[in-house]
Amino acid sequence: MGARILIVEDSPLIVDAFRVLFTDAGYDVDAAETVAEAVERGTKTRADVMLLDLTLPDGNGLDIMQALKERDSLPRVTLAMTGHNDAASRRSCMDAGCADVLLKPVPIVELLRKIESHLA
Amino acid sequence: MTMADEEAASLLRKRVVSLEQISEEAQRTIDELRSRDELKTQFLSNISHDLRTPLAAIITHAEILRDGMLGELNTKQRDSIGGILSGGHQLLDMIDEILTYVRTASDQITLVRTHFSLPELVDQVRVLNHALAARKHLTIERLNGDDMPSIYADRDKVKHVLGNLIGNAIKFTNDGGRIWISFSRVGADGEMARVEVGDTGRGIARNHHELIFREFAQVDASPSRPHHGTGLGLAIARKLVELHAGTIWVESELGKGSRFFFTLPLYPAAD
Repeated sequence: MGARILIVEDSPLIVDAFRVLFTDAGYDVDAAETVAEAVERGTKTRADVMLLDLTLPDGNGLDIMQALKERDSLPRVTLAMTGHNDAASRRSCMDAGCADVLLKPVPIVELLRKIESHLA
Repeated sequence: MTMADEEAASLLRKRVVSLEQISEEAQRTIDELRSRDELKTQFLSNISHDLRTPLAAIITHAEILRDGMLGELNTKQRDSIGGILSGGHQLLDMIDEILTYVRTASDQITLVRTHFSLPELVDQVRVLNHALAARKHLTIERLNGDDMPSIYADRDKVKHVLGNLIGNAIKFTNDGGRIWISFSRVGADGEMARVEVGDTGRGIARNHHELIFREFAQVDASPSRPHHGTGLGLAIARKLVELHAGTIWVESELGKGSRFFFTLPLYPAAD
């Protein structure tokens, strides 16, 4: 089984696209649409990589990192995904411990390359 | 007080009351317009975010297909996917432009200033636009600037302004034309950098020089216009330049090309 990836994203359309992508690339894929669901799934099985949307229906995606940290279940690598590229949100992601901040839609070649390099 | 005086005083009182009513009404109209404007901005922001998400999914799916992850494609299928991707990216650029406008219009933009080389940034933007220009056999030259001191500004925002002006120059210049960028120092002590983006394109009539910097304004706004866009590019450029305490303007005549200028302070403002 490949590395486990947890996709945290409230749009089923994006989740579907990522499922196809990461399953094909050999990852073990899991997904959550809310902060609560992400904390639950992330605690149940610790992910190697978490792809994190920042705006979720029940709160800020970065809160998930704190909750998983407290449960000793923080993924090895967290990549934040945002719809707008501004310095302030970039800084808050890096401060929260994200390995990188990516602007959606992330070109798939770049996304796969970044994840592989962070996992290496 | 004579009868005539009383009549005059009464008339005056009536006038004052009526002026007060007009003023109140005007204030109510201003408040209502302001609140409608805020609603419009909020609507644009929401709709743009909502448009962006399914579009991101379309682009990702198309890339998965293009890269053969679901099986090899033949040339025609690859070309067709290429069409979906280029259309998708064009739409994405327009949505992002609306989002940038919303953020400038609602003062949500904060400048992150650093020292950087303006000519180097221009060269980067030239490289980014090379393919687009080459398709129309246009040349983009930087005429000078090697001796320019570094500038203190928000690099990403200045890049946005340059990208916008150079993008417009490419759009509105016919095949085989020329685009150039040059620098000079202006102000009493040369404390401002002035950037010129010029082209040999179709030019802009004098009565449109102000209009083009207004949001949603396009010189040709008809549905059959040859160049489509949001009509926000120059409005955003103006806002970003003004945030830096600079100015932006155009010198142009119809049929004689255009020269866009903007100024930016070279040094941090003295407090």
